[in-house]
Amino acid sequence: MSQEIAVIGSPDFTTGFRLAGVRRFANVPDADKAEELDDAVEQMLADEEVGIVVMHDEDLDHLSRNVRRSVETSVEPVLVTLGGSGSSSGLREQIKRAIGIDLMDEDQQ
Amino acid sequence: MAKDVKPTRKNLMAIEDRIDLSTRGHSTLEKKRDGLIMEFMDILDQAQDVRSDLDDAYTDAQRNINMARAMDGDVAVRGAAAALKEHPEITTRSKNIMGVVVPEIESSKVKKSLDQRGYGVVGTSARIDEAAEAYEELLEQVILAAEVETAMKKMLEEIETTKRRVNALEFKLLPELHDAQEFIEQKLEEQEREEIFRMKKIKAKKEAEEAEEALVEDDEEVKYETVTADD
Repeated sequence: MSQEIAVIGSPDFTTGFRLAGVRRFANVPDADKAEELDDAVEQMLADEEVGIVVMHDEDLDHLSRNVRRSVETSVEPVLVTLGGSGSSSGLREQIKRAIGIDLMDEDQQ
Repeated sequence: MAKDVKPTRKNLMAIEDRIDLSTRGHSTLEKKRDGLIMEFMDILDQAQDVRSDLDDAYTDAQRNINMARAMDGDVAVRGAAAALKEHPEITTRSKNIMGVVVPEIESSKVKKSLDQRGYGVVGTSARIDEAAEAYEELLEQVILAAEVETAMKKMLEEIETTKRRVNALEFKLLPELHDAQEFIEQKLEEQEREEIFRMKKIKAKKEAEEAEEALVEDDEEVKYETVTADD
């Protein structure tokens, strides 16, 4: 099954990806992020034709707790965050829980 | 708890069978967990490389698009972005790592040549082309990262469940079974001791009875003898 890549973020963030041909995107202006980002993300997660969701790492802070957790643990589609502090924090938490050691921390030092 | 089981030999045998099975299952699961963690370490190394490449690609792409914006204006960049006709598509196939199904993502139409992009070559500048190219590069890295990170997430889930199973067997099921086994063994031994004691009692009683009977018989004999003596 062929799927597409989706981008969620401020217009500045999405423009570049659209230049590379990404068709599915949700523009959420910085001012409205607190209210509208949750809906945009949920919509993308529910869309079966989306295989990868690209977001800016800082935008994750605007999400409500539940949506953030579901987007971080989602496998289909999978979330890839850009910018910010490297690898997504949800993954890091999961590693800590599953293995018992904060592997990412060790490797970053 | 252990006291719920009936102390019968049949139950003891059943529990011994379960202990056997659980111990075997425990060691197998332990091996699986260790194997998964080893595989995970490999993927983690990969993921970290992919991450740093991704971050580099992102800063590069950002610089390029900012340049394009500064030189050509925001409207021109957005106009070009809206004109794209070819869309990157991804197809996922699955791969199996120690029973964990991880995706292999293949992409098509990410990299495009100038004439495939769809915006007019005349109306746009080389900087927009560069920005588009940088973002195409970034998308490829994103797809790689998505593949590796999905694999990591799935592996982590599997590691967690396996670990939970190992711990449940080791700290809950096996101790309970051992308790039950010990309980039944003790009970059976006690029953056996009771049985022996009972037998001894019965034997003693029987002996006493026999002795009494013998005494009575002796008495009777003596009487009989006296009777005959009287004759």
